[in-house]
Amino acid sequence: MDKPTMSRHISGKFNDELEAVRNQVLTMGGLVEQQLRDSLYAIEKSDHELAEQILRRDTKINALEVQIDEACVQIIAKRQPAASDLRLIIAIFKTISDLERIGDEAERIAKVALESFNKDQQEFLLNLENLGQLVLTMLHGVLDAFARMDLDSAFEVHQMDAQADRQYEALTRQLMTYMMEDPRGIPKVMNVLWSARSLERIGDRCQNIAEYIIFFVKGKDVRHVSAESMEQTVKGGR
Amino acid sequence: MISVTPSNLQAEALDLANLSAEQTALEIRDLNLHYGSAQALYDISMKIPKNRVTAFIGPSGCGKSTLLRCINRMNDLVEICKVSGQILLHDKNIYDKDVDAASLRRQVGMVFQRPNPFPKSIYENVVYGMRLQGVNDRRTLDEVVERSLKGAALWDEVKDRLNASAFGLSGGQQQRLVIARAIAIEPEVLLLDEPTSALDPISTLTIEELITELKSKYTVVIVTHNMQQAARVSDQTAFMYMGKLIEYADTNSLFTTPDKKQTEDYITGRYG
Repeated sequence: MDKPTMSRHISGKFNDELEAVRNQVLTMGGLVEQQLRDSLYAIEKSDHELAEQILRRDTKINALEVQIDEACVQIIAKRQPAASDLRLIIAIFKTISDLERIGDEAERIAKVALESFNKDQQEFLLNLENLGQLVLTMLHGVLDAFARMDLDSAFEVHQMDAQADRQYEALTRQLMTYMMEDPRGIPKVMNVLWSARSLERIGDRCQNIAEYIIFFVKGKDVRHVSAESMEQTVKGGR
Repeated sequence: MISVTPSNLQAEALDLANLSAEQTALEIRDLNLHYGSAQALYDISMKIPKNRVTAFIGPSGCGKSTLLRCINRMNDLVEICKVSGQILLHDKNIYDKDVDAASLRRQVGMVFQRPNPFPKSIYENVVYGMRLQGVNDRRTLDEVVERSLKGAALWDEVKDRLNASAFGLSGGQQQRLVIARAIAIEPEVLLLDEPTSALDPISTLTIEELITELKSKYTVVIVTHNMQQAARVSDQTAFMYMGKLIEYADTNSLFTTPDKKQTEDYITGRYG
């Protein structure tokens, strides 16, 4: 298939509408990335005030999701987009729903920052931080790939998720051992475990967004296919 | 509201390049057409499947109407027009010397952009072709009228005024009357040249609904400027540009993931 271009439509207004909605998605992505970065920072520094801020900011992300949804519905109703335009709108629809959920996960992580931890428990936070940084890199990468509709970087992010899953499992094992050794710490450790779970989920959602990018560019649905067949889609023609 | 019935759902995609003989209604082979010194069609080859709706789309002047007209030799009427290549109907090239254009047109009916009923009654419009064939038996003709008008989804609206003038009908009704006239002689293939471009949106939907019903009995080929219409009614779509067949594919895939950039640009409104 020939590569879709962002070249101009005959209707300038249609161009503007698509451009506006794309920009809004990027804005929303920027906000979500900020939320995740801040929530990791808040845990690291036990910054309660920042954590509170994060909780308040989530409403902004939710509002953006609704706005973009509406703009997409308008475009479908008025323009009846086809081919790559249609695939772009569908990719946007799905991307923003994943972004909104990533925002929710960041909020959940921020709640952990409101707790105080003892010295032993600090060690888990360090491992959580590592997983967090990896997932943050994934999110940054996939948003960048979305902005440029870049296949290769989307595929790269998709591959990174395996590493995130491994780190998550290692952290889970470590936390379980600790809980067995010191049951009194269970409530707090559970919180750490939930945040680790949230981070792992964010990784999955970045993977989803990478799949939508591949869908837009290649016109092929690569959900639930083997890594090899996805690689074939990304690297090959039709 | 037009209801969505299972017959409206698009048929399964066919392998258009490798249609079997039973699946094929028409085969166009290396068709070239010149108007005087100007070439209008270049090496068109395609198979049109039986009992399906095939749409030709493309910008004005791309040759889609010309190609449609070739299928029942309407271009014979244009003196400077020269056709080479073949169009096979039942393995017989319709451009062979021994093929009679009038009998070909009984097998391949055509409906035009503007409804063109004859200045006669509704009844006489429908049986016009039968009468030309020398059929005058009243009972046979009555049956044909009812069957054709029902087939064209017009019966309920006109059954009480069959002897009234066809000109008293609305544009959409007239177009369905013309379709009834075309199917009265039971053709195998029905060619529709922008059948709804002169109609309002509701009449258009009625005709579209009719088209999806017609395909159970006939092979339908439609030329349309309205891309959404092609997307709605057809099973496969051919995109033409400057006299060439650029892309011919299952409608579902052509409108979501076209293979060629020219197709993409046209259906997304980037063609300029």
